Amino acid sequence: MEVRLNNKTKAALSAIAVALFLIFVFLGDKFIPAGSTWKMLITVIEKGSIYALVAASMNLLNGFTGLFSLGQAGFMLIGAYSYAIFTIPAGSHEKVYQYFDGGIIKWSLVEILEGKIGILGHYIGMFIPMLGAGLFVAVIAYLIGIPVLRLKSDYLAIATLGFAEIIRAFFQWNTLGPVTNGSNVLRKYTTYGNAVFPVLIGGISIALILLLINSTYGRAFKAIRDDEIAAEAMGINLFKHKEISFVISSFFAGISGALLAMFQTTINATPFNTVMTYEILLIVVIGGIGSITGSVIGAFLFTAASEWWLRGLDSGRWLGISSSLMRPGFRKVVFAVLIMLIVLFYAQGIMGSKEFSWDRFLTWWKRLPSNLKAWPERHRAKSEARKEARAVKAAAKAKAKEAKADNEARKASGKALFTPLPMSDHVIVFEKEGK
Amino acid sequence: MMDNREVVLRLSDITMQFGGVVAVDNLNLEVHKNEIVGLIGPNGAGKTTAFNCITGVYEPTNGAVEINGKVVIENHPQGKMKDAYKGRNNGKYTKAITMLPDKVTKLGVARTFQNIRLFKGMSVLENVMVAMHMNQTESVFGATFRSKKARMEEKAMKEEALELLKKVDLYENRDDLATSLPYGKQRHLEIARALATHPSILLLDEPAAGMNPQESDDLMRFIGRIRDEFDLSILMIEHHMQVIMGICEHIYVLNYGGQIADGTPAEIQANPAVIEAYLGGDE
Amino acid sequence: MGFLHTWLPYILAGIAVGGQYALIAIGYTMVYGILRLINFAHGDVFMWSGLIMVYMITVLPLWLSIILVIIFAIVLGTTIEKVAYRPLRSAPRMSIMISAIGVSYLLQNFALYITGGLTKTYPSINWLQKTVTIGSATTKMVTLITPVLTIILVVLLVMLIKYTKIGMAMRAVSRDFETSSLMGIDINRVITVTFVIGCALAAIGSVLYFSNYTGINPMSGAMPGLKAFVAAVFGGIGSVPGAVVGAFVIGVCENLIKGAGWTTFSDAFTFVLLIIILMVKPTGIFGEKNIDKV
Repeated sequence: MEVRLNNKTKAALSAIAVALFLIFVFLGDKFIPAGSTWKMLITVIEKGSIYALVAASMNLLNGFTGLFSLGQAGFMLIGAYSYAIFTIPAGSHEKVYQYFDGGIIKWSLVEILEGKIGILGHYIGMFIPMLGAGLFVAVIAYLIGIPVLRLKSDYLAIATLGFAEIIRAFFQWNTLGPVTNGSNVLRKYTTYGNAVFPVLIGGISIALILLLINSTYGRAFKAIRDDEIAAEAMGINLFKHKEISFVISSFFAGISGALLAMFQTTINATPFNTVMTYEILLIVVIGGIGSITGSVIGAFLFTAASEWWLRGLDSGRWLGISSSLMRPGFRKVVFAVLIMLIVLFYAQGIMGSKEFSWDRFLTWWKRLPSNLKAWPERHRAKSEARKEARAVKAAAKAKAKEAKADNEARKASGKALFTPLPMSDHVIVFEKEGK
Repeated sequence: MMDNREVVLRLSDITMQFGGVVAVDNLNLEVHKNEIVGLIGPNGAGKTTAFNCITGVYEPTNGAVEINGKVVIENHPQGKMKDAYKGRNNGKYTKAITMLPDKVTKLGVARTFQNIRLFKGMSVLENVMVAMHMNQTESVFGATFRSKKARMEEKAMKEEALELLKKVDLYENRDDLATSLPYGKQRHLEIARALATHPSILLLDEPAAGMNPQESDDLMRFIGRIRDEFDLSILMIEHHMQVIMGICEHIYVLNYGGQIADGTPAEIQANPAVIEAYLGGDE
Repeated sequence: MGFLHTWLPYILAGIAVGGQYALIAIGYTMVYGILRLINFAHGDVFMWSGLIMVYMITVLPLWLSIILVIIFAIVLGTTIEKVAYRPLRSAPRMSIMISAIGVSYLLQNFALYITGGLTKTYPSINWLQKTVTIGSATTKMVTLITPVLTIILVVLLVMLIKYTKIGMAMRAVSRDFETSSLMGIDINRVITVTFVIGCALAAIGSVLYFSNYTGINPMSGAMPGLKAFVAAVFGGIGSVPGAVVGAFVIGVCENLIKGAGWTTFSDAFTFVLLIIILMVKPTGIFGEKNIDKV
């Protein structure tokens, strides 16, 4: 029953799947009317891709390099601003930067290039600030990494969280207003026309992360994650490799920040706070720490649940049930409870540390009918096993209680609690053993 | 007896003091080319600490480590330690040369650990390939975009790793998770992983710990074999006297951090100080 | 004199806030000392104590509300420990930290639901709000009460840790978790007591803090929580007096920065301080050195 395809077939299957998906998104965004419920699906795919990218970048750090970093929201923020600032059309500057005399930068890269080489220039003009945003974030991350990456696990978490907050304060600082618009909203910058754009950029970026993880550098990252001391003893320069992972992860966080800016059409530094980082982390956990596939699935589930499926919980009617409990905010409570349940009882997440593979998928698909048929039987067996385990546990508990009572009795009567080992066990034999 | 082979590893007056505790006290030790040297002593005698001083995990408080005739680590009591120093030879060393563990490994000193430290999430093959990472030259971009050089290096790495696994009888287990191996094989894998860094000196920290007589017998032969096959000099810590006396050419004995004896196995077995350290003196 | 005239109000405010941070920081430092866990949810327990007070005061007298708030915080804190941390005690470090983050996320969202996202006004406690004049500065009573109360509580706590049996057990557990459990110390009890103390102090801190800054919303706990944690790191995590000193330093510096007109960076300053201390002396000013065994 095990399916094993050769590499060519796999590549072809992947190419077909990706192409079909992209065409679906493209056409979906174009033709589904704005009011339709199915439009939600496209929105979820759009936002999901962006979150998938940032979750994958966080997983590269947390799941593959073992660096518990909580700075992702800060890096997204830099990315979002870096993109937005250079693509606000010249005509809109007065309005956007109304408190700062139209700002310092009075041009838009998109407009300049579009004027020179037409529609191609439009896209290049979007692409350059986006890439630039990633690179700029990478440089900042490199500098932050120099002090921070020498810290141990939880100190690293808190220091990166701290840097993210510093970054946020910086972007809200009124003195920088002519560039960042201070604490006001940035808007009117160029965004993409079709949902296929973030899906494509996100997809390519995630593919690059996967290629990195499966390279010799990825192996070195995993070694650091599993055992720093042993990794160092194998000649892996800890600092250098942590820095590489941190910089690359931040680069992609920056790209996803730029995409998020485009998705939202307006940005402000306030929501890029710790809660945002927590949400990204929870996506990684839902998907499985150490699985990029998991991060992608987690991101789509997270956005679908929060933007679409659980919407009804906020408006009083969900799946036909109505209740006065369901008022704004209820959705997020249910959501948080679900996440806690996953964290506590399903700690490995959806994928654990496994990645998607056609072989595994097709095998699973083929076995599905028989597995479904066997399910009631397995369920019964499982519950029986559980019952047995419970009985054993209870017996052990009773025994322990008895032993404790016995010990107490012994203690009271002054008897020794245990018998010491015979001394002869400690003697070391120096003689060479004959063969 | 004079040994006229060249000295590949020399520890001079290595002293390691933690706070007020002198864990290693004035250790002088030499390992000659292709020699197997044992380092023994009761628990807490400072053997593993000595290893950590050689490999750069700890900075020794005083003394120097010489690898292949070049001083790579040297230190002397500084700062607060100046007054708190309890060891000897204060003032003999003046330089402060430190080296991170990965640099020491690059110089050709590989080690294993007392409590096995394999990479848990990786297969046997990957565990060995990780150790070859430091010798590859492709940049992270080349590796990500699968440049021709990266593909060639990866291929060579894999071939060499498989070759190595064959030599240590782990070829059949190459795709298993490292931690799923039985204990004895995990020890072998740790040694294989160390060998993958192309060392000239191998430090083994209790390779026979937890093994039965049959297994440690096999291990003894295995160590001898890799010494010849990979042209190694070996320094090993071990508690199994059988193993130590069976393969070591020279033995150093530590007790309470201090060096109480050194010599050939026969000399050590006859040394009253050693026997006293192990069995306790009559009081 | 002119200098003091300008800065005294800020210094006083700083000392008051410092005392409030100190009461939160103790919870962080003690939990970290024993479980090696950054209890991300601690700031939210603090926020919830404030929120409960808002609701309680509408039907109950002040003294009873304060007592009930303290009890509520204790119950909440110990429940979190029992439900979210205890089952993961043997799991990797990262899982328990993620669990803490999850709890924090849950508490914030639940508060968001209850309050509807609106900022609630904290009840004004008359005698805490009384104005007093010191030298050139006029300030509220709470500013004076806070440091005094903080110091009294801390002295009591230090005595508890030093001289009682449970205090000794706490010290033992923070030194070596496993060995102390082998020595017959009831680990669960020690941890519960730690949470009880930490949460009770956070609840008292919340009464003082929100009497000062009267607005309370679901995110009110996050920033003071993080700052208190930084204070704990600054003082040397695991050390109670260290956390208190750290909290006062942060409180005063933050208010001086506000006084200098750099309000945007008053929060960021805390993290700059954190990063500096982690670079220069990762064990904090009162911390002990810890050597990893290889």
